[in-house]
Amino acid sequence: MARLANVIRRLRTRLGRVSDGEIDEELRFHLAMEADLLERGGMNRELAVAEAKRRFGGVDRHTEELRDVRGGRIMENLLQDARYAFRLSRRFPAFTAIVLLTLGIAIGANSAIFSVVNATLLRRLPYPDDARLVILFSQNPDKSVPRFSVSYADFLDWRAQTRSFSGMAAGTGTTVTLISDGEPLRLSGQSVTSNYFDVLGVRAERGRLFADGDPTTETASEIVLTYDFWQRELAGDPNIVGRRLRTGGGERTVVGVLPRSYDRDNPGVDAVTVFNPASIPNVESHAQHMLAVIGRLKPGVTQAAAQADLSAVAARLAQQFPDIAGWGANVFMWRDEATRTLRSPLLVLLAAAGLVLLIGCINVVNLLLTRATLREREVALRQALGAARSRLIGQLLVESGELALGGALLGLVVAHFVLLLIVRRAPTGLLPVDITLDSRVLLFTLALAVATTVIAGLWPAFAATTPRLAKAFRDGGRSSSGGARALRARRTLVVAESSLALVLLVCAGLVIQSLRNILAVDLGFDPARVVTMRVNLSGPRYTDTTQVQFFRELQSRLEGRPGIEAIAAANTPPIAPGGITTNLRLIGSTRADGGKVMGPATAITPGYFRTMRMRLLRGRDVSWSDAKPTIVVSQAAANAYWPGESPIGKRIGFGQRDTVGFEVVGVVNDTRARGITVDTPLMIYLSYAGATNVARTMSLVVRGRGDATAIAAATRAAILEIDRTLPVYAVRPVTQVINDSLGQSRLNTTLLTIFAVVALALAAVGIYGVISYSVTLRQQEIGVRMALGASSSNVLTLVLREGGLLALVGTLVGLGGAYFATGLVQSWLFGVGRADVMTIAGTSVVLIAIALLASYLPARRAAKVDPLVAMRGD
Amino acid sequence: MHPNADVLQGTLDLLILKAVSLEPMHGWGISQPFQQFSSGVLEVNQGSLYPALHRLVKRKWLEASWGTSENNRRARFYKLTAVGRRQLAMETDTWRRFSAAVEAVLAVHQT
Repeated sequence: MARLANVIRRLRTRLGRVSDGEIDEELRFHLAMEADLLERGGMNRELAVAEAKRRFGGVDRHTEELRDVRGGRIMENLLQDARYAFRLSRRFPAFTAIVLLTLGIAIGANSAIFSVVNATLLRRLPYPDDARLVILFSQNPDKSVPRFSVSYADFLDWRAQTRSFSGMAAGTGTTVTLISDGEPLRLSGQSVTSNYFDVLGVRAERGRLFADGDPTTETASEIVLTYDFWQRELAGDPNIVGRRLRTGGGERTVVGVLPRSYDRDNPGVDAVTVFNPASIPNVESHAQHMLAVIGRLKPGVTQAAAQADLSAVAARLAQQFPDIAGWGANVFMWRDEATRTLRSPLLVLLAAAGLVLLIGCINVVNLLLTRATLREREVALRQALGAARSRLIGQLLVESGELALGGALLGLVVAHFVLLLIVRRAPTGLLPVDITLDSRVLLFTLALAVATTVIAGLWPAFAATTPRLAKAFRDGGRSSSGGARALRARRTLVVAESSLALVLLVCAGLVIQSLRNILAVDLGFDPARVVTMRVNLSGPRYTDTTQVQFFRELQSRLEGRPGIEAIAAANTPPIAPGGITTNLRLIGSTRADGGKVMGPATAITPGYFRTMRMRLLRGRDVSWSDAKPTIVVSQAAANAYWPGESPIGKRIGFGQRDTVGFEVVGVVNDTRARGITVDTPLMIYLSYAGATNVARTMSLVVRGRGDATAIAAATRAAILEIDRTLPVYAVRPVTQVINDSLGQSRLNTTLLTIFAVVALALAAVGIYGVISYSVTLRQQEIGVRMALGASSSNVLTLVLREGGLLALVGTLVGLGGAYFATGLVQSWLFGVGRADVMTIAGTSVVLIAIALLASYLPARRAAKVDPLVAMRGD
Repeated sequence: MHPNADVLQGTLDLLILKAVSLEPMHGWGISQPFQQFSSGVLEVNQGSLYPALHRLVKRKWLEASWGTSENNRRARFYKLTAVGRRQLAMETDTWRRFSAAVEAVLAVHQT
């Protein structure tokens, strides 16, 4: 073995290549000889060894220099450079800490947002060949609602007449009440056409799914359970297939269980039944919009082609059937639809995080440039001794690469915590529950580290090794002309990062202002101490009449009980996005459209306005004693439908052919019933009492005096007294409903604000750095000024002015950038314009104030300088 | 005023070639005559000699081999090659002409 090593060594020596061991040996020999010499001169051994080392210079450094000359293989160099960089990072601990912290925060922000993007925008649907799946909608005549639900009649005709789809299916939400010995259990379900799972490509985990057949002869007693429900409520019963369940609608047989993957796209769904068209009143009408329709494109068919095909069919149907005149249809890719509300905010946040990283990189560039001046002599010496420039640049890049990699590791930790914040603050259902830092996120983070190395490391590496800097050798590192040039470059960098920070600040300022506006909106009702919950009056026990009786009895039982002030019901909960928009006919109207309008409508029980504390402006409330259903309209609806007239006594028909209609008996104030930011004060309230074909699922609103739990418990008790098979669900205080509806806005605002604050802090650090550098360069000048009579405060002003000027230029450039960037957040804004003067002025002042603050420290140092010391310039 | 880096490097090369022109020498031995320089003019510490030695080996002006030193230690000895010898002659000539020129200029100014 030893012989072999010897042979190799000799071979390498002959090839002109020297091993690390030989270099060490040679240097050790030199040190020993020198120490011997000194010892002979009378020094003791220990001192002699120390002196020999001192005369030699740093052994480590010369080993590096030797390698420069020797050259070597790339990998070997890389490893050596990495080791050297690591040692170096410990020589400048403050520098290393600041760079790692900066990059950690900046990269972490990006990785966190990307992991959300990865779990939503980049995720596939859990169905085979999901790129061909589409969602189809009706389109109302004035095209204000591009995603209108579809009538069963339209669905059948679309399916029969289009040629772009290999399959088309429909479904709607439903509830199934499971009756057992305990409290009744309400299942959240879907009711779908029997080909639904074939179109999706979903296969059963157990048993079978629905057989594709004639939808009119469906076996209404079949039910399919989701995997989650099977495991959770039925303890994964192995004999589930064929089990019979007692439900509100009669007995049902479990024919199969869906795969686990289905739960991911349909969280909260317990069971699926077959859609029975016969259960829908007026189902043959093309205007009976109520279904969600999905489809699978034939291979090779594009969305545009399918849209053209569908539009042609829809246009033909609109001509054929007068009650859908003017209606059209839209087809959207399912993947895009699934992330529609997330895409734009996520891309904005990703862009914001990108800006933060860019600002972080600029700071790192500044720091590297500063360190390069400290190492000028080292680099110059090595160049003088023959190190190739490419070799030195490579090594400097390895150094910044190591820093970037360290930053990325720290960034993953930061990302973990930012992700926790996002998941905790996101409203339920907005984001998938399983967002993780998976391999794709790790890869993204690594890519960021590489990009950071190139962006932040390349220029300083070139700058540090330009021959100009080799002159440092001559003037001992105080090259004033080179320093001035470097200062100019750095000022430009600081202006750039200030402007980027201002862009983020303006966007964050506008969004914060919007959120404040939203929170200050007058809802038109009082949400405090009101609890909402849903009941589903299904089953043979309830008819139109008994349903009305149920609510009347509940009201009379509950009102007056301790802690309860008022109770009523409506078919949509307060602050419900969407809601029901229907065809109305203003009977006897002289309007050009003959009084045929589309309008939002809500069914309410008497007492609703009292419970919600809305104000009756004219006429009277609806009443239990009304023989026929009556109507109360909102102020805005009254003004829009009967301008200048009293609406009391007018009649509104439901459906365009209804020529009798119901009487308007009162006017109430406008509310934000369809969402705080949705400006639809038009509202038609139809009395539930005396109506036919009434909604079976109703939202109760209960105003109490105590806390929400007590109110809910009292209500639940009263309901079970009347009907002990009725499940109560979705119990929430209305204030919480409102808060949840703002969840995404709040989250977006929080994240954008955090990014803006980080950007501002980084910009402040950058300004501090460059002003400190400038003060050092101008030390002599400042000394002369002070010697000639300038006071400390003159010097302070001089330096502060420099910092302020940089920030001012940065602000002006940033305002230009903000002009474009605010366009991206425009859809987030509420009650504030893109070019809001107060916000823009406010954020500009904040940036300049922070810049002055960051300049103050170096300014004070400059002002305290002793003129004599400064002039000597050491 | 310190000498320019290029001048420094050229001078260092010349001194090394000259030192090993009579007999093979190890690094420490070559460094000894430089002691006076290193404290003053050249501002080069002893360690800086080695990169120069390795560079010259790489250019094939010097040849290195392991041997035993005067006090019986293993040492790396440097020997002038034929190329190195030609180079030395050339460099010495250049240096002489250069310094003669400088000398002449200085002499003019002194009178």
